[in-house]
This record gives sequence, structure tokens and C-alpha cells, in this order.
Amino acid sequence: MSDKTHILLVDDEASLREPLAEYLEKQGFRIQQASNASAARSLLNAYDFDIILLDIMMPGEDGLSFCRYVRERMDIPVIFISAKTEETERIVGLELGADDYVTKPFSPRELVARIKVILRRANGSVGSSTNSSGSIYQFQGWTLKTDQRSLNDSDGVAVPLSSGEYQMLLALLSRAGQVLNRDQLLDITQGREAHAFDRAVDNQISRLRRKIEADPKSPEIIKTVWGGGYVLAGDVQTL
Amino acid sequence: MKKLLPNSLVGQLLLMVAFMLLIAQAVNMLLLYRGTQNQNMIEASAGAVARVGNFIGRREVIGADPRRGFRWRGSRPIISRNTVIGDNVERLSELEERAAIAFDNMGFNLRSVTAAKVEILPPILQNSVVGLRRGRPSDKTMGRQKNRQIDGYILLSVQASNGNWISIASVVRDRRPRIVGTLVFQTLVLYLILLIPLILLGRYIEKPLRNLTEGARNFKPGDGIMVPESGPPDTRQLIAAFNDMQGRVGSMMDEKDVMLGAIGHDLRTPLSALRVRIESVDDDGERERMIAGIEDMDRTLDDILSLARLGRSGEKSEATDVSALIETVADEFSDMGDQVSFSRQNRLTANIRATLIRRALRNLVGNAVKYGNSAEISLDSSNNLLKIHVDDDGPGIPEDQISSMFEPFARAEKSRNRATGGSGLGLTLARAIARDQGGDIVLENREEGGLRATLSLTMQ
Repeated sequence: MSDKTHILLVDDEASLREPLAEYLEKQGFRIQQASNASAARSLLNAYDFDIILLDIMMPGEDGLSFCRYVRERMDIPVIFISAKTEETERIVGLELGADDYVTKPFSPRELVARIKVILRRANGSVGSSTNSSGSIYQFQGWTLKTDQRSLNDSDGVAVPLSSGEYQMLLALLSRAGQVLNRDQLLDITQGREAHAFDRAVDNQISRLRRKIEADPKSPEIIKTVWGGGYVLAGDVQTL
Repeated sequence: MKKLLPNSLVGQLLLMVAFMLLIAQAVNMLLLYRGTQNQNMIEASAGAVARVGNFIGRREVIGADPRRGFRWRGSRPIISRNTVIGDNVERLSELEERAAIAFDNMGFNLRSVTAAKVEILPPILQNSVVGLRRGRPSDKTMGRQKNRQIDGYILLSVQASNGNWISIASVVRDRRPRIVGTLVFQTLVLYLILLIPLILLGRYIEKPLRNLTEGARNFKPGDGIMVPESGPPDTRQLIAAFNDMQGRVGSMMDEKDVMLGAIGHDLRTPLSALRVRIESVDDDGERERMIAGIEDMDRTLDDILSLARLGRSGEKSEATDVSALIETVADEFSDMGDQVSFSRQNRLTANIRATLIRRALRNLVGNAVKYGNSAEISLDSSNNLLKIHVDDDGPGIPEDQISSMFEPFARAEKSRNRATGGSGLGLTLARAIARDQGGDIVLENREEGGLRATLSLTMQ
């Protein structure tokens, strides 16, 4: 077994699949390509993969169905690649247990970043695995549903979050009570390391507080630990 | 006047029928009234003719004044030199003819027969009135006439062959009160008989029509909700045809969706291939420009597809914190280095499809930033309306061009050049999204300069 991350890339469009495979190889991944679900299935039997990049719209068996097949048998993370951007289809994909979703045309750099985030989670290198699909977190009257990426207050009113805020809140929730510094938060949420004087994390936290804290100036949910970082206070129930 | 008319088919039908029945009954009443009046006259005159005939007959038999030796009950004719009927009274020619024939049949030879109707009895005929009951009713018919009002008198005056006039009066009784009573009763009975089945029939017709209206109003292509076929055959046919049409529209929309999906897929795949290949361009500036070009194309494609698919969105409306939504959009732009401000006040919620509204708002803020350098977002609520204002400091838009700004590919600078980017669908899409959810978007020039775009939403 090589040390390189092994990726299964499933897409019927050779015009996209081939340059993408080339790019990923340059980035230091090991790639197997499949142009349809049955080819992917036989590759799955032949190799061990760390992650699957899966196109949804394919002739014959589509990506959703193949994802279900993978989920039933093994524990390999899946990232959907699709031209569809409808929010509902995003939800369908995540409900089926995909770990992430990128829409065409995507930035290859962003894709690599996401692959790294998911692999880190899967390897448990930072805290426990988030197991992002289908969890419901309840904390201080709030409900966060990961399959819909939705946050609702005690009256059921939805509070829209940006994806950065969502990632940040999920990172804190899944490690409730654990103090996370800026580097760890950036690593979990964006798969990158903090630059010196990086304010991105503090920015996201203060935005989150404005949305969920009764008084953002004296936060009760996301507390600041001086010199350390941030921690989600109070009880968190995971359903 | 219009308010008095019922606005339903059945209501109007009922009102019409009731009104027509009333008119028919009125005509009926008029005819009946005239008929009975005639009848009254004939009845009254018959007595008078009989009396006079009797009188003349007797006189001819006994050859003397018949008043002597014969007990006249109640009234007897008078004999005079001149007729008792003056010139200025209304003569009843029809009665005169009938009487003349009657006398002819009795075998009397009379010089003339005159009859007239008067309101007041001439004094001379005071004791010669037929039909004025004195003391006791002579027979049952008279008894029944007890309650009737006296409605004038008929005077009958005939000139015998010797030139003398024999005259008598007869009471005309009024039957009006009973006629009116009967007619009111009749009308009511008619109403009952006619209107109750009509109301039932109306319900039978109206209910399916109401269902149909409801169905047409709530029609969403592809939801497969059929209007139940009920009611009379032609209504059933109408509903069946409507359901049919609904199905056809649904499948057309489905086809459109499939086609749009295919277009989206087929254009985005080569676009993504290009996007991947661009990464190998070494010149940073060149690469960034290429990426920007692809992103611009992608946004345009996205706008077109969204606009075409609007109304078919699977997203459900949900009570949403609008302030948080605005904040999310404002932050997106601030992160990109744009000047966008929003000062959050109290929390306001509305029942919306957040993803779509976010997109509409993004388009408005995007325009403000692009054409007006900065965007200031404010939120206010009055009554049941929630208004999101996006103000900019740009040059505004000439008043006469404001309404055309919502047309696809309209641009304030008229040139349609793409230097400023964007698809030209932003406002069109934003307004379509707002209207799809019962809201709207209005543009106006601010007094202090710049443009204000207002997105209004109904709160729940």
C-alpha cells in the first residue's frame, strides 16, 4: 500500500474526468477512474480507496444509487460532483450519506481542500469523527440538522447561516465542551492552517454569535477562552 | 347598486327568477283584477236586467202600474220621463249590448237600453237599488257578499215603446281585498315550489364550479392534484377538460425541466473541464481572468435556469429569521471587499423560501455595489409587510427607465455591454422570486441621491 491517498473518480464525461485526474495526481493523490457505476463497482472490489468522487448524473445507474450501494457496504467518504445546484438536491445528496458536495464548475483547489477536510475527519486526526450525515444537535433551545444544514430556534424559526458559519458551529457542536484554538478550527472547517494574524475564525465566531446569542456581547453559547480559543458551553444532545 | 347583486351564479339566477316571477304575478294580478271587475259589473247588471224585465213584463200583463198590488222585495224600478243617466257619465256599451240582447230575448220591444257606472247613487233611485241588502240576507250568495265593499253602482235605464224611461240601480261589490290576498298567497306558493328546487340545483351546479375555480387558482404544474368531476354533465366535461389541460401543462413543464437540466449539465461539464485545465496556466493574472470569465458564464447560466424553473422549486416555505438572512448576504459581500452595511435591530421573521429570497437579495445588493459603489441595507415592518431596503450612492436611474429595468437583459446604461459583468437577469429573477412568494420589488430614486430597491415580503 502506498502512502498516497487513493481516490476513485467516477464520471461519465471523459473531458472532465481526465484533466481532473491529471490535476489530482499532480497534487499528490493516487487516482483510479471509472466512467460508470458498474466499472466503479469492479474497481471498488479490486482496490482500497480512501475517498470517492462521484458524479450524480450518469447514464445507466446514477450517482445517488451508487452512493447508496457504497454506504450499505463500506465506510468510504463520498463527495458528490454534480451540475445540479438546486438546494433540494444538495439535501438529497447529503441525506444519502455523501460527506460533501461540489457543483460544476468547481475550483479544483477547493475540491482538494474539501478532500483534505474529509480525510482528516475520517482519520480522526482532530477530535472525534463528525459523522456529518443525518445528525441532529440540540443545544440551549437550538436545533441543528446536518442533513438539511438547517438551524432552528425553539420556535422553529429557521436562521440562515453561511456555509462558513455552519461549518464553524458544527465543529464546535461535535466537540462540545472541548476548547478549540484558531488553528484547529480552521483545520476542521477549511482544511488549511491559520496565517499569522488570521482573523477569519474570529470573524465567523462573532457573526455566529450575532445570530444565535441573546446578547452577543456576553455570549452564553460560544464562549471565548482567553489565550486558548473557543468552546461551546452547555449541554449538547445528539440525536 | 352593484353591491346588491349577489356575485354567484346561483344567487343571480335566483334573484332573476324571483324578479321575473314577481313581474309575471303582477301582470296576472292586473288581468285577474280587470276580469273580476268585469265579472262584478255583469253580475250586478244581471240583477238589474232581470228586475226591469220583470217590471215591464208585469206591466204588459196587468196593463197598469205594476207597482200596485205587487210586493217588490227591496227595490223596484222607477218610471220617469227622462233617462236618469246624465250625459257626462261613463257609459258601459258592452253592458248595454248584453242587456239589449237579454231584453230582446224576453220579447220586449224597447226603444233604447242605456247603462252606466256611477260612484254616487242619484237620489231619485234611492229605493231602487238591487243588491243592497236590507236586514236579512235573501240567499247564500248575498250572505257571502256581506264583507265586500260597495264599489259604485250600475245604472240601467231603458226606454219603453211609450217613451217612458224605466230605471234601476245595482250595487257593484268590490272584490279587491280577496284578490290581493290570493295573489300574495299564490306568489308565495310559487316561490316555494320553484325556488327551493332551484336552490338545490344551484348548489349542485355551484359546488363543482367552486372546486374548479379553487383548482385553477391553486394550480401548480406537476402536483397532480385533479379537480373531482361532479355536477351536471356539461360541468363534468368542463372539469375533465381542465384536468386534461392540467396534465398537459404538467408534462410540458416536465419536458422543459428535463431539457433545462440537460442544458445545464451539458454546458457545465465542459465548463468544469475548462475550469480544471485553467489551473495549469502559469500566468497568475491570466488564470484569474479566465476563472472570472468562467464564473461569469456559470452565473448567467444559473440565472437563466433558475428563472426558467421558478415556481417549480421543491423548497418549502419556512418561518425564517430575515435579519439573519440579510446579515448572511451582507457578510458575503463584505468578505469580497465590498462596502455593504446592515445594522441589525430587532429580529423579524417571515414565512419564506430562504434560499430563493437570499438569492433575490444577493442580486439587489450586487447591483447596488456594482452600480452604486456601496449598499446600505435596512429593514422595516409595517402592518403585515416586511420591507428590505437596499440603498446605494450611485447615479440612480432615470424615472422613465425604472419599469423597464425589470425586463430581461435591461441595463441602466443602455449599452448591453458586459464590461460590468452579470447576466442582465438579476432584477428579473429577483422580482420573479419575490412575486412567486407573494412579495414584490420596487425601485425608486432616493431624494438624497442614489437608488433604493425595496424587497417586500408578507409576514405570516
